[in-house]
Amino acid sequence: MNVIETKNLKKSYGATPVIHGIDLTVERGEIFGFLGRNGAGKSTFINMLTGIIRPTSGSFSLLGVEGPNQRLKKHIGVMPDYSSFYNSMNAIKHLKFLSALSGMPVSTSQCKAVLKMVGLEQDLSKKVGKFSFGMKKKLGIAQAIIHEPELIFLDEPTSGMDAESALQIHQLIRDLQASGKTVFMTSHNLFEVEKLCSTIAIMKEGAIVKKGSMEELRSYYRSTLEVKFKHSAIPESEAENLYDWLETAGSDLKTTASSSSLTVGSERKIAEIIRAFTKCQVDVFRVEVNEPSLEEMFLEE
Amino acid sequence: MFAIGKKEFSSLFQSIMSLLMIALLLVTSYYSAKFSDLLTVGAGLSASEAEDVHTAGLLFLLVGFGQLFVMGLSHDTINRELHERTMRFLVTRTSRISIVLGKYLGIWLFWFVCILISFLIISLFSLKIDLFIFSQTIALVTFQIALAVLLSVLIPKPSYTMFLGVLLGIALPILGVWVAFTNNLWVSWLKFVSPYYYLINDDYSFLVIFGLAGLVLAAALALFNRREC
Repeated sequence: MNVIETKNLKKSYGATPVIHGIDLTVERGEIFGFLGRNGAGKSTFINMLTGIIRPTSGSFSLLGVEGPNQRLKKHIGVMPDYSSFYNSMNAIKHLKFLSALSGMPVSTSQCKAVLKMVGLEQDLSKKVGKFSFGMKKKLGIAQAIIHEPELIFLDEPTSGMDAESALQIHQLIRDLQASGKTVFMTSHNLFEVEKLCSTIAIMKEGAIVKKGSMEELRSYYRSTLEVKFKHSAIPESEAENLYDWLETAGSDLKTTASSSSLTVGSERKIAEIIRAFTKCQVDVFRVEVNEPSLEEMFLEE
Repeated sequence: MFAIGKKEFSSLFQSIMSLLMIALLLVTSYYSAKFSDLLTVGAGLSASEAEDVHTAGLLFLLVGFGQLFVMGLSHDTINRELHERTMRFLVTRTSRISIVLGKYLGIWLFWFVCILISFLIISLFSLKIDLFIFSQTIALVTFQIALAVLLSVLIPKPSYTMFLGVLLGIALPILGVWVAFTNNLWVSWLKFVSPYYYLINDDYSFLVIFGLAGLVLAAALALFNRREC
């Protein structure tokens, strides 16, 4: 079942289009990553889905309900970008107030449990005005999940956090997915998106230029693989034939006495090369495949 | 709506400015009532005149400066949250109608409590609560709060509403009283949209003020529905 479905969703400010008719589907239980440079339109897209701003045209549905719809608000959790809080309130008061707004009041013990999940258990009574940027991010995540929504929007959830806290939040996001929730997140941390997200969409100038799993994106952006073999010395009698064959198997062949590297068109070719080495009495000790990282793909885009 | 109203209500009691305003209201009520007793005897007022004089100080304060007080405390009730982006938490959790009505309710309750306590203080001297004047006062404040909410939705920057709020707080009572009594045909029709006109007579025409407040609040709601957070 699709928990998010948008049809030709557009947003313009005056005559300037910001989002160009996005068609997108997100399935239940996914961690969906939204990537794009600053100003690509990621936050605008989330803001339209969560009711912060109104689309200029097009339609969308969340959890099967046509949006924007007041009934949806109980079932979605939102951590907007640039979250700021009421400085005079502490974390527990925040969570209680915001949950009450959703019509789902929570107890102090529930608040404490969620604050522990995000790593704020030491700061329960501290006023939010004294929180660091990273702590506010954590509170933003806590308020987004306190009412146990089915669909959670997280806009840059770990930006400004230290590494340990970020890892804790990564685990929390995985736990949310394991409990059947759907997480829609944007991030500038490409490593984070690569590790967490089951589906990734790359956005550029208000349009989604590519969407798919990490593997699909890799195969789209890079049709070749750089492979490096470490092997035993090639017998002189076989060397000429083997090098000739390797040149036909791939390109950019570079060889030393104990290693060969080349660029091939597919993984199947790697298996063929290993068989060719073996046939020539050459032992293959190690194969290194240089796959494009999300960062490389992103920069290429 | 009630969660927002409760927060607004309690936060109004926590600012120094509102505490000063409460103090001013209470002190005015106390001394107005206390000295009106002396005045009643000294000036030889009739019984009905004596009744009115107890609340005269408070009425003068609210008619003359009520708009200024309300604007001073609540000119940024909506735009502050837009400016600081806390509004994003509210709009993703509840309807925009609930936000505006919740804010309105919280401010209205604050003023209701303040005015009620002021009338209770006066009643210590006059030995009665004038429910008619009390209702008229509440009607006026109901309109003034609606205007403050509308201004806060209309102008996105709190610093601008602070300035405009003070300006309107001073100008509106003067203009309101003037159009209520002027014979100038070009402007006298404005009296029908001014709450002060409906306070002149000792009848129930002040109930129209609640209708005016409703219209202003409806305009604020319509504007806020179009506002991006």
